[in-house]
Amino acid sequence: MKYAITHTTAYSYSEPASLSQNELFLSPRATQHQSMIQHDLSILPEPQYRHRRRDFFGNTVDVFMVQHPHNKLAVTSKSIVQTSHQAIPDPYTTPPWEEMAKRLTSSCQQTDFEAFQFLFASPLITVSSQAASYAKTSFAPGTPLLAGALNLMERIFTEFSYDKTASTVDTTVDQVIANRRGVCQDFAHLAISCLRSLGLAARYVSGYLETIPAPGKQKLVGSDASHAWVSIFVPDFGWVDFDPTNNMVVGESHITLAWGRDYGDVAPVKGVVMGGGNHRLTVNVDVAVKND
Amino acid sequence: MTEPESPIIAQLNAEKTSLFPAVASPSDSYNEAFSASGKPREHWQSLLNALEKKGASSLTRAYERAGHMRHDDGATINPFDDPLQRSTAWDLDPVPLLIDAAEWSQVEAGLTQRAHLLEKILADVYGEQQLVKSGSLPVELVFANPNFIYSCHNIRPPGNRFLSFYAADIYRSGDGRFRVLRDYAASPGGLGYALENRIVMSRVFSELYHTTQTLRLAPFFMSFHRALMKHASLGQENPGIVLLSPGPDSHIYFEHALLSRYLGYPLVESQDLTVRNGRVFLKKLAGLEPVEAIFRHLPDLSCDPFTLRRETTNGVAGLIQVCRENNIAIVNPIGSGIVDTPALSTVLPSLCNTLLNQPLLLENHPTWWCGNPEGYNHVMNNLKNLTLGHALEHGSLEDNLTDPANLIRSAPHKYMASAPLRPGTAPCWNQYGAQSCYTLLRVFVCATEKGFTVMPGGLAVTATETGTLTKNSPEQQRSKDVWVLSERPVEPFSLLEGFHSIDEFKRSSDLPSRVADHLLWLGRYLERTEGLVRLLRLVFRKISGEDRPQDIPELGFLLKLLRARNIIPSPAKNAPEIPLFHELSNHLNNALSRKSGGDSVITLLRSVQNGAHKVRDHLSLDSSRIINHLEELAHSFAIDPLEFLDEILFALSSFSGLAMESMTRSLGWRFMDMGRRVERAINQTRLISVALPLVNTEPRNTLEALLEISDSTMTYRARYRSAFQLAPVLDLLLADESNPKSLAFQLNQITEHIEHLPRQRERRFAYQEERIALQMLTAVRLLELHDLHDGMESSRNEELAAFLVSISNDLKEFSQHITGHYLTRIQTTPHFAMIPGDRT
Repeated sequence: MKYAITHTTAYSYSEPASLSQNELFLSPRATQHQSMIQHDLSILPEPQYRHRRRDFFGNTVDVFMVQHPHNKLAVTSKSIVQTSHQAIPDPYTTPPWEEMAKRLTSSCQQTDFEAFQFLFASPLITVSSQAASYAKTSFAPGTPLLAGALNLMERIFTEFSYDKTASTVDTTVDQVIANRRGVCQDFAHLAISCLRSLGLAARYVSGYLETIPAPGKQKLVGSDASHAWVSIFVPDFGWVDFDPTNNMVVGESHITLAWGRDYGDVAPVKGVVMGGGNHRLTVNVDVAVKND
Repeated sequence: MTEPESPIIAQLNAEKTSLFPAVASPSDSYNEAFSASGKPREHWQSLLNALEKKGASSLTRAYERAGHMRHDDGATINPFDDPLQRSTAWDLDPVPLLIDAAEWSQVEAGLTQRAHLLEKILADVYGEQQLVKSGSLPVELVFANPNFIYSCHNIRPPGNRFLSFYAADIYRSGDGRFRVLRDYAASPGGLGYALENRIVMSRVFSELYHTTQTLRLAPFFMSFHRALMKHASLGQENPGIVLLSPGPDSHIYFEHALLSRYLGYPLVESQDLTVRNGRVFLKKLAGLEPVEAIFRHLPDLSCDPFTLRRETTNGVAGLIQVCRENNIAIVNPIGSGIVDTPALSTVLPSLCNTLLNQPLLLENHPTWWCGNPEGYNHVMNNLKNLTLGHALEHGSLEDNLTDPANLIRSAPHKYMASAPLRPGTAPCWNQYGAQSCYTLLRVFVCATEKGFTVMPGGLAVTATETGTLTKNSPEQQRSKDVWVLSERPVEPFSLLEGFHSIDEFKRSSDLPSRVADHLLWLGRYLERTEGLVRLLRLVFRKISGEDRPQDIPELGFLLKLLRARNIIPSPAKNAPEIPLFHELSNHLNNALSRKSGGDSVITLLRSVQNGAHKVRDHLSLDSSRIINHLEELAHSFAIDPLEFLDEILFALSSFSGLAMESMTRSLGWRFMDMGRRVERAINQTRLISVALPLVNTEPRNTLEALLEISDSTMTYRARYRSAFQLAPVLDLLLADESNPKSLAFQLNQITEHIEHLPRQRERRFAYQEERIALQMLTAVRLLELHDLHDGMESSRNEELAAFLVSISNDLKEFSQHITGHYLTRIQTTPHFAMIPGDRT
């Protein structure tokens, strides 16, 4: 599928902001099932300082600073990507999860190196006994790795309700478990925490999802949103992405921006502002199918 | 005169035995000073003889002198967060710890090797990560380690120096060999205390120090500075090096201030620094000044709230980005906290073989990491005999763990265990006499142009219990200077003169905006407190007589003044102006001592103390003492209010006098005085505005009170020798530029200060604050007062009232412009967009 994505983040300030520093993870990654055709970033007002780099996880990061007083700041990212279907192994023929966990924690095979960094608790994802016990239901002894992960995903989907008012950027995994509600970021953190509690490697993926309007309704431009899901490492195969918010294996309609240990590593837009008084933030995302 | 002697000393003297009974040492510990047979070790002989000759009372005196000197230097550790809590002076033992040349050279070799090894590990972890890929370094020590900072990966520090300053805690094990207990690199502490101990000891025992061939510390600091200049490629003329401290609330702020003075690096706090165009700048009154190197005393995770996504007031947003651009040298580079990871030491022996092809010279204290099978099994089988601790971060576990085995099982890589610590002992002296104490030694290593060098000396920490040694409880520990003996005569090297010419940074009268701001407010609070104290003192004097409050003619005026400052509440509707006695005394007690709900003498004193605390390294020692005294006074207002107010006024005047006297007429002084002038001008304007309407009804009493509050009665009598009349009184209080209490005097001073502030634009009166100051001064000079008299006509009255209103507005506007121009401190807010996602 070919998509054109427009992602606008706009701040307006009640008083002039004198200095604004920002870090952007908005450039789509090239993956096995996604190629990036075009990516343009426009920032208003024009920043005095810009810098682009590849981070530890291989994501493209843009840093910029606006160093003069300003009342508004808008970051518009326009991308065109081509996605394809994600091929995954038959979940029931994947090896038992304990075998995988053992291999990851005891040996140091070169091929597994990229998984090591996603094995442990990270700043926003604790690995608590609550997460471990929630995970255990899906991972009875001998459960095939991927089958367990997909079961975990389904349980999160059915047992947790989607609630935009239930959480903030800093909501912890234990709070999510206690409240049984949250948004995609929380569900992704929860699933990752569960998998890591078993000694499995899981990473946080940030991106977009094309939304399909209700039957008979016109799709509204800008009604889409940033999205997040989970990727689990299946040794000798690679990474398999799944979306606990929608209980689905990631497919053609998911667009990948970046991945890291948790949200904090790959927040699409983060920054600090000096001054500015009260901030108003507007985010608009539009994911449109592009027909050539 | 006889010295008071403690029982122990008396006994020692009576028996004519040695001052230091060697027997006091536990048998399984190594005794630094005495061999197993009880004989002094060779390198201690001459020191022990010299001390013996001095005798117990002279040692006790030296101990006390050392204590006073350190106290005078402000060598304190604040164990509490509350800035007003009393700081603990850390005890210094007058008996140094001696280490002979041969032994020290082994320590040196070991530490140098360790620093090399640790730097190589850092370079790999933040670069290729071959050690993890090859399995030489367990993955947990990097990827599960909170000290590994992902955003610093791939940053190559200037000169490739991943480690420029390293410290270790070492101790002597039973076999006499030194072992390493802990390693520090993120922001090692103690260097300043070691320096202070040496300064004090070389003064207290100046003769002994100079006859003993003790290696000097100064060359170490010189190497430190030279290497930093070299690898950061700094210009010789004006290197932009700063010392970054968390500020006076840090419990080791003394050390930061001392090192800053000694090294000549300006002491700055996070808010003094800003990032522009991928570079760091210091915010000074005259503008931004480039910073090229930072000697930081902040932990890794507090260095950059933007990149590390921390909501902390410490740190410089964007600092890591500057590191990526290679535009700053930081000692040590952010992320070097990997070295501080407790479990890292367990893999050093094997890494030393891998990386340096050598055996590790200095052994570790025996520890086992549960992250590998051997360690795990050993710990599980010996839980009773080992001390369990965190493997990845410092800090001890809870004391009474119910099920340590289960805790370890839940995440083995997070835990490690160590054997009981049996450090060596050294002779110690305190007010009770001699004692044998367990001793831990903090030693320091810095990069040189070629490799590393070890400071010949260090900070010895002693305690009577081994548990106290490793706990962070400075009040129970004592410290010692460490004398490393040389086989050759030692080159004299002055410690106190510093070692490089005073650079521009220091000589310039420019100062960080933050400091100027604090000084301005200190000046304002001092004046505000003094004004209130004077006013209250007058009120208490008036009501202390036999008269009913209602019968005291000027009381109404005084209470109006207190109400104008929101010190006491306005009377309810239809209630009399002057409340009944018990109500009045309630109000006045509040005005003295309430802690919240409005200004009182106590809350204002607190503001003065806080302000002084924030700039304490800019105040003289004597002024700091008065602040301490004020603190005591604030707790003693139960005494008679008049006496209390007198004491406060006296202390405040001494403080102002001293602070003003001991400060050079630099920008700092200007800002503090400007604060005082602005506050006094506001106060004086308000005073006359309140008085004016009353002059018609109560001329004599009002005018008298007016002069008294303004502390100008004597001047008036001397000058006019007449009864109180409106025109001369107002002239004295408003327009007389020679009366230090008059409005004109304040405005004159303000105008003068403004002229001396740094400015970018050449043209005079280009700035709003300059224009307002001149406007106010001109207005007061042109004020017509001579034809005023008590029963003045209303148009004159209104004219004067309007003048006072306009001055009071101008003063407010003036303050805002000064702040906006020179002192702006803007709030920083982080923002992160939430990812809600969507359910399709």
